[in-house]
This record gives sequence, C-alpha cells and structure tokens, in this order.
Amino acid sequence: MLYIQLLVDGLVTGCAVGLVALSFSYFYATTGIFHVAHAGIYTLSGYIALHFVKLGLPFVAALAIAIAVAAGVGAFIQVTLYARLEKRGASPLVKMIASIGVLTVLQNIVALTFTPNILQFDLPWRISLVHVFGIGLSIPQLILLIVSPLILFAMLAFSRWTPLGKRIRAVASNPELAETTQLHPERIFIYVIAIASGLVAVPAVLVGVDQAMQPYTSLLVLLTAIIAMIAGGIGSMGGAFVMSILLAVIQSVSVMLVSGRWSIALVFAVFIVFILWRPEGLFRRNFNRQI
Amino acid sequence: MNFFFSFLVLAEIFAVLALSTNLLLGVVGIFSVAQAAIMGIGAYTFAGLAIAGIPMPIALIAAIVLCGIINVIASLPSLRLAGDYFIITSFGIQLVATAVFINWSDVTGGATGLSGIPIVEIFGQKFVRAGPFLILSSIALGVVSLSFWLLMRAPYGRLLHAIRQDEIAVVAAGHRVLLAKVGVSAVSGMYAGVAGALYAAYIAFIDPASFDIHVSILAVTMVVVGGARTLAGSILGPLLLLAIPQLLALIDIPSTVVGPVRQLTYGALLIAFMLWRPQGIAGKSL
Amino acid sequence: MLKPRIGGLIAAALISAYASTALAQETLKVGALLPLTGPAAPIGLEQQQGVQFAVDLANAQGGVNGKPIELVLDDSQGKPDQAVLAFNRMADLDQVPALITAFSSISLAIAPLATRREILVMNPAAQTDKLADASEFLINTIPLVNAESQVMTKYAFEHIGKTASLLYENAAAGIAGRDDFRNHFEALGGKVIAEEPVEFGQTNYRAALLKINASKPDFVYIAITQSHETMADQVGQIEGFPVAVGNTFSRPFFGYPSTEGWYQSAIQSNNPETRTLEAFKAKYGTKGMGFFAREYFNATNIVIEAAKALSAEGKELSGVNLRDTVLKIKTFKSPIAEITFHTSTALRPVEIQQYVKGTRKVIEVATPVAQ
Repeated sequence: MLYIQLLVDGLVTGCAVGLVALSFSYFYATTGIFHVAHAGIYTLSGYIALHFVKLGLPFVAALAIAIAVAAGVGAFIQVTLYARLEKRGASPLVKMIASIGVLTVLQNIVALTFTPNILQFDLPWRISLVHVFGIGLSIPQLILLIVSPLILFAMLAFSRWTPLGKRIRAVASNPELAETTQLHPERIFIYVIAIASGLVAVPAVLVGVDQAMQPYTSLLVLLTAIIAMIAGGIGSMGGAFVMSILLAVIQSVSVMLVSGRWSIALVFAVFIVFILWRPEGLFRRNFNRQI
Repeated sequence: MNFFFSFLVLAEIFAVLALSTNLLLGVVGIFSVAQAAIMGIGAYTFAGLAIAGIPMPIALIAAIVLCGIINVIASLPSLRLAGDYFIITSFGIQLVATAVFINWSDVTGGATGLSGIPIVEIFGQKFVRAGPFLILSSIALGVVSLSFWLLMRAPYGRLLHAIRQDEIAVVAAGHRVLLAKVGVSAVSGMYAGVAGALYAAYIAFIDPASFDIHVSILAVTMVVVGGARTLAGSILGPLLLLAIPQLLALIDIPSTVVGPVRQLTYGALLIAFMLWRPQGIAGKSL
Repeated sequence: MLKPRIGGLIAAALISAYASTALAQETLKVGALLPLTGPAAPIGLEQQQGVQFAVDLANAQGGVNGKPIELVLDDSQGKPDQAVLAFNRMADLDQVPALITAFSSISLAIAPLATRREILVMNPAAQTDKLADASEFLINTIPLVNAESQVMTKYAFEHIGKTASLLYENAAAGIAGRDDFRNHFEALGGKVIAEEPVEFGQTNYRAALLKINASKPDFVYIAITQSHETMADQVGQIEGFPVAVGNTFSRPFFGYPSTEGWYQSAIQSNNPETRTLEAFKAKYGTKGMGFFAREYFNATNIVIEAAKALSAEGKELSGVNLRDTVLKIKTFKSPIAEITFHTSTALRPVEIQQYVKGTRKVIEVATPVAQ
C-alpha cells in the first residue's frame, strides 16, 4: 500500500515535470536554443493565475489567462531577443546566457510584484481529497493525472496531423532547407515558443494550486525536466514525458530504500549509467548541434 | 580600500575558475556546469588539510592534484557524449557533489559549513586582510594565466582548437583526441583546485552553497560575457560581473525592494550585453 | 515681560549648547545584512521589516545623539562570499560599528571579519550551535538550537513517547535541530527509528511524510524553517499521521485540522505593545507581526539602547563600546521578550505549547540550563 502511494505520488509529480519537459523539448528541438527562461515563464504563469483568482475570477478563467499571458511573454522573448541574437550570429551558448538574464528578470519581477513569500491559492477545494482505489489524492493532483496525458496526446496529434504541426516538424528537421523552401522558420519559431510557453503554464498553475508558489525555485524543476528530455531522446515528446514519470517514480519510491538525502544522487547515477549506455536516449532521434 | 581589495581578490579567484571553465567550454567544447563542484573539492581538501595542521603548500598541492584527477574522471562521459548531453551529465555531477558536501558532514562540516580555516602564513608573514592577500591571489592568477597562454600558443593548443571545430577530421589526421581531451581536463581541474584553495584560504569559511549549481552557471556566464576562448575574457568577465552588484549597491534603492531590484537590473544588463556584444568583451569573432 | 525672555534666551543657549555637543557626536549607523533575494528571501523580507521599523520608530523619537539613525541595508543572497563582500562594503564605505545578520552560514562567514574589524554583529535568528563562540563580537539574541532542543526533548520523552522519527530541512538549522534532538533524546533513553530530510524550498513533502508515517513512531520531530502551510496540507492527506513536535520556527503549523494536538517549543517572544503592533501592521499591510519581524525589531532596539547609553556618557559609538555596553546592560526588557546575556548568547525562557482547539496552550515554561 505504501509503495502504491509512493508510486502514485511519483506519477503525479512526473506528470507535472513531464509537461515541462515536453514543452521545453518542443521549442528546443525546433530551435536548438537552451531556453532557460522557460523556468521564468513557469514561475510567472503560476502567479498570474493566483492574481486573477484573488480578483475573484473562476479558476478556469484564471488558468486560461495564465496560459495566454505565458504564450504572449514567450512570443515576446522570441521576437525581441532570440530573433535578434540569431541575426547577430550569436552562438547557442550566448543565447543561453541571455536566457539566464531573462530568467533572472522574470523571477525578480514576480518577487517585486507578489513579494518573495511562499504563497498559496485561496481555493477551498484544493485540499479536498478524492479516493481512487483507496489512494487519497488532492483534486489538483487528480486533474494533473488526467490532463497531462491528454495534453501529450493532443500535442502528438497536433504535430502529426495539422498543417502547422507539420510545418514545425519540417523546420525542426532542417532549418536551412526550410528557409529556402519559404516555410519562414523565424515565424514558425514564434508559434512554437508560444505553444511551449502556454503549455508550461498548465503544470505551473496546477502544482501551485496543489502545493505553493515561490519566485526563485523553478530552475530546478526545469533542469529535472531537461534531464528527462535528454534521457527520453531530444525531439521525442513522448520520450520526454515517459522519462519524466520514470525518474519521478524512481525518486519517490527510492525514499524507502535510501535516505532522501541521497535520492537525487541516486537518480543521477541511474541517469548517467543510462545515458552512457544509450547516448541517443530512450527513443532514437537525430539531433545534433554545436555549442 | 579594504573593500576594493576584497572585491579584487574575489574577482581574481573567480578569474581562475573562469579559466578552468574556459579550457573545457571554450577551447575543447566540453560544456561543463560542474566546475564549481570541482572548485569545492579543492576548497574542502585544502581547508580540511589546513585545519588538520598540514603545511599550506602541501595542502595546496594536494587540492590541485586531487581536482585534476577528479576533473578527468568527471569529463570521461564527454568522450562518449556530444555537447548537450554532457551539460546534463555535468549537472548531475554537480548535484551529486553538492549532496556529498552536505551529507558527508564528518569531513565537510555539512550544511553548516567548515569554519576556523587558519590564516595563511608565509615566512612568518600573516595574510589577514584583503590587501596583502591580493598579492597571493595575483600571483596565483598570474601563474594560471601564463600557463593558459603558453598552452594556447603550443602546438597542443592548436590541436585542441581543431578538436572543437572538427573532431572527426582530427581523428582522421591520426591525432590522439582522447589523450588531448584527458590532458586538458586535468589542467582545467588543477585550475579549479587553485581557485578552491584560494577561496577557502581567503573567506576562511566554506559551505556547500559556495559551490552549488548557481556558481557553476555564474562561471559559464563569466566566460561568455568576457569572450570564450580568450585569456583576457576570462579575467575581464569575472571582474565585470562581480563589479555590477557592487556598483548597484552604491545606488540608493528604496529598502523594501532593494534585493529584487538589484537582481533584476543584473538580469537586464546581462540581456543587453549579450545583444550588444554577443562575442563577449574580448572576443574577436564568433 | 523680561523674565520669559531671559528664560527663552537661557533655553535657547542650552539648546544650542546641547546641539553643538550633539553635532560633535557621530550618527549611529546600523548595517543589516539579510538574504533579500533567493529562496530565503521570504524570511529576509520579514527580518528587514523588523529592522526598518525599529529604526524608523527610533528616528521619529529623535534618533541617537539628536540625529536620525542611518540604516545600511545589504543583500547577502544567502551566500557566504557575497556576505563577505557586503560586510567589507559596510565596514569600509559606510563604517558601520554594528550590523545585524541572518542565517547560520552568513553569520559564520562574517564572524572572523567581525573580530578583525571590531564590528558588533547581532544575530537574532540563526541557531546553529557553532555560533556560540564564533566571534567575541557576535551576540546572539536567540538561544541556540542546543538550548531550545534540551527543553523540548525532555518534555517529549517524559510525556509524549519513547520512539521518534525525524523530519528535517537539509540545511544548517534543520541539521542542527536533528543532531541536537537525537543527542538529547538518546541520552534520555529514547530511540530514533527513522529520519528523512527535505530540501530548502521544496513544496512536495508527500514521499518523506509517507516514509515517516510508515515507521510508526510515538511522535515525529519536525525541524523546518519555511513552507509549513504546505506540509500541514499534505499531512492532512495521510490518515493517522502521528503527533508531531516542532521548534520555535514551527509557529505557522498552528491552525490546521491536521496539526491539532501537535506540540512545539517556542522561544518566548510576544507581540509588542498594541500601538506599535498596529503601526507595524498599517505600515507593511500584514496581518500581524511575525516572529522574525519581532525578533529583528527587538535586536535592533538593543543596539539602539546601547548606543543611547553610550551617547549619554559621551562615548564614541564604536563596535567595541557597543558590544561592551550591551553585555554591561545585560538584561533587556520589552513586551517582546526579556533577554539576559550571561554570555554573548542570550538565555531566554522556552515554552512548550500544544495546539488545542484553535488555541496555543502553554503547557510548560522552562529556562534551559546554560551549556
């Protein structure tokens, strides 16, 4: 029973991280930019939802606004920063450093606007429990558990069957060719970052509702997600998602085997062995770029 | 003046760390975010030995040698993994190192840190304040810089550049890529060891937070802002990035918002700088 | 008509004489080196409000030496090297004779500098035992973990149970709490059957809580410094979670259905008089005056009181004088706390509280034995 509870806890955490991983992966595989500021958008969107819930809006409306704002901020970063850096011939490394700058700015805007305090949503239903096969889950946990796989499937379908999804895949697989064939990669990049940013708002808000929010801790969430993305195979959204769940479950269940103070080290040891054995990740994809 | 000197000492220590990062990142293209962890190993080794009463030069050498060896081991996965994959591997190494610093408390003092590191004493001369210590850190930076410069000028340095640009061609030309990479990792690790020992000797207190992932990222930022691959860049980068918060401290900001406003300005400056000069201060081209 | 005029002249002369001696006196500068950004910023912000409020209040009453007190605020980011830089900045550029610190690692990093530069460092919140003799210029206005834990452990062993599991924050304060609890508890004959760390800034405690629950102890000892609200929520998710015991940082645990019946030790620290409390709430828009705000307010007042005593004697406001004066005055009474310095670490009464039906019931008050 205890193990099942730990497993479920890992599963829920994994779903949240999985959404971060797949959204990061979507942008990264297309543009090759190590978009650290994704963590800043994660932080920002949670607080935006909190703000509108406080103003009295229904939760769903607040979530929708958070998604829209996140998408807008993402697109703004692409247009004003990444596109310009690209034009100036900046290396991916330089874009990453600029992205760290954006992360710092976003975190501190949040800290200035909402104070650095740990804040919780004022929603009475957020701690009510639902029992599923004897396991007590909070409502936000349950929503995460249901919504996350749906989002994954929606994204896979979008990528495979819609014209825009196909264009994005074409750009991702070969930007130079896309340029000459008039796919307008720079416009595609804006769509991609808007989609990725809107997506990342979902786990940000739901985890915020379930637990609490603070301005300065989202980078670790993102880095965990990136590990999963790499282990899952860059460019594979399903791989990123599955790996996130796997790693989160290992970390959660490992608590019973080793002290929690070594659980991060354990997860990484697993990761390093795994990645040395299969450097291309769980799902093989061609992906290569210079730093 | 003491404040200014203490700023210079820290800038020099971070310049040594930046050179260590630069060797891996800029010169051979091994993207590591674990250099703070290696520096930490140097700092803990030096501090532990110095507290145990081992003469400081021996403690310093021990720190340098150990860091050289560990950095080679830590860089081994990069022989098999391309750029992005290694970032995360090195991130893992960084997290594991931090976990060890925190949890191996018999040796490291745990999360509360290690205090009571003795004051550096050479020929009866004590290096208590920042002014005299500046001489020590300047000598260290001088030696490290000179070796970096010589390394880049040597045929070996040209081989390293060639590896970064086109590893397959270098292999095809019959050069030993593996050996070259191992060698450079060793040197980079030794630099980090120097930085760690200096840090422990100067601050006289070390804790796991002094060598966490944020410090590693800061080192990478310093290299890029200064200009990757250049010697001057790795000295100017730390100087500039450490100066910004000091200068911001002189501006009168309402006390209720002082912390976040300074950090926000720092972030904005970083973005502006990357837009204005993507190749870094000393970088010639990309 | 002459008399009042002369009186006025005399008064004027007196005032100007007083003013001229006051002019010769220096302004009191107080530094505050707090974690204003980074994960510890929520705590830093509350501490800052306490210090700022004390300085503003004193300045409204004329300051020290007839001059407003100058507050020099700096951000340590919770990092030792930044703290060392900020310390030197305060020492050289602002020449502060006294500063107020936060955080064990920061305080330990600047302690040797305080000795060298002869600057009084007041520590109102960090509790690591190493702070007891880190510097002769370091004054702790809060008892360290060892002293507090001694009282709580004894009570817990006698009245709550003989087996305990530990849940602690994997940082200085949490680890010190864990070690001291274990030492005292085992010395009494108790048994620690499980321990589990949580990270600073973490908000998902479920796995750790499940593990602790599964170990079935008589009670759980919890040593965390933030995010109690979230932990209380998640404890509510686990049926039959054992009763828990906390320390002085555990105050936010109070008031949840899941924490009913829990215990905590609390360093006696009360609200200031109503007028001050209301002014504080109005100024910062808070619901009350938190523990850190109160303690920093009080510690700042101790520095100001010492400075006033020095200025009355016409002595220089140096770090040495300020420290000596604080130790000489020895007992500082205020509505917030009564603090006595037998050594440079305050001895203060510790309460054992239990959360019973929406109140904090004080079960026992004890003063720890000096170590």
